[in-house]
Amino acid sequence: MKRMNDKKGYPWFFLDMGRPLTRTWTTTLLICMLAIISFIIYNRVGTDLSPDSPAGYTYAIVGTIFMLLATFGYTRIRRTRQRKIGQLNNSLNWHICFGTAAIVILLIHSFGNFNPRSGTYALYGMIALVISGFIGRIIDRLVPRQITKEVRKALTEQGDDRIENISRNVQDIVAYNTQNLRAFKTDAAPGPAGLPQTRLVASNPTSLGGSTLPSSWDIAYLTLDETPQEVSRNNQQYRFVPDRKSSLARPGALVPGYNQQIEELQLVQHALQREQYYRALIRYWRIFHVLLVLTTIGLTIWHLVYAGQLLLPVLFHH
Amino acid sequence: MLRLLKPNAIILHKTRPQVGQEIQACIGCNECILACPAVAEPITIDMLNRETISGPISEPVARFARACYQCGACVSPCPVGLHRDAMMLWLKVRLLSMVEEE
Repeated sequence: MKRMNDKKGYPWFFLDMGRPLTRTWTTTLLICMLAIISFIIYNRVGTDLSPDSPAGYTYAIVGTIFMLLATFGYTRIRRTRQRKIGQLNNSLNWHICFGTAAIVILLIHSFGNFNPRSGTYALYGMIALVISGFIGRIIDRLVPRQITKEVRKALTEQGDDRIENISRNVQDIVAYNTQNLRAFKTDAAPGPAGLPQTRLVASNPTSLGGSTLPSSWDIAYLTLDETPQEVSRNNQQYRFVPDRKSSLARPGALVPGYNQQIEELQLVQHALQREQYYRALIRYWRIFHVLLVLTTIGLTIWHLVYAGQLLLPVLFHH
Repeated sequence: MLRLLKPNAIILHKTRPQVGQEIQACIGCNECILACPAVAEPITIDMLNRETISGPISEPVARFARACYQCGACVSPCPVGLHRDAMMLWLKVRLLSMVEEE
């Protein structure tokens, strides 16, 4: 069994816990723990357990702030021209941290109230967004290794193109075999005793006057020769099979392996297709995630407008 | 925001000679590393170029190669139009070969 080493090589599962990653995950856990503890305390002390209670609004505001930080913090760093090496990765870690914290706090803000209203749809959008983010991270971890595996199939040990290599082999096989087939001569073996050796004599149609007639002098003339349409030379049964006693049957006269080379070529082509598919999966999942961001922002704005319509008259009334 | 929806062009892998040519053409401006969301620790471009093509692979470079998820963010900032993602893929192939050799 092949050993998977954590220090060297390219294992399926690896976790390089650097200081930035540890810091962001610790922060995420702390925020989530704080939110959950405050929810438990409020659940025991408070009487109004609804999203539009003061505690509900607090959770909503804090959750929205984390959501905005997750959305725009990473985008801002991505667009900055002046950044340091590793800053984008650090920003991505914080993006995950804030996204996770936002979903936990906004779930608490709902207080288990999942009525089909604008807030519930915004929450569903947020849940889908966070889940798509986590799936995206899993894809980013596993799929590149799969791409690497496929690329290894498409390259030789030295890193050359395997398709070129196979094509060269096939060309060599075809050239060698064609040369041998052209040089092939029938053995002049004598026929059975007492029987004259049969010989095919080409017909030579002549007219009564002795001149040669063209083969198609009659429009009803049909050639008995097989036309290319009748015989497909690629069909296995029509392929040239040398006789056992023939000089072509000796080992090395015809190089075998044509079919194996073609099979190998197909394997490489499949590997290339899979490589392309995996690359597309990584890129299009990211687009799907961005589309979910846009949807969630839209649903959240709708929910904020809805909440504002309820809140503002109350505030102005007081 | 709409620019985020535009996917980077999908370019298949490159062979080792092609990767070698690209590394020779690299001017060492660091733009690809700066644009990379996978690099978590300071790595010099010289070190990366040297270890990509041959020789032993150091721990920081190996960690970076494993973390690279072939997003193609490094391609567009390159002022000389090189494909760092293809170079990283060759490094990944080398890492994978190391596992199977062991």
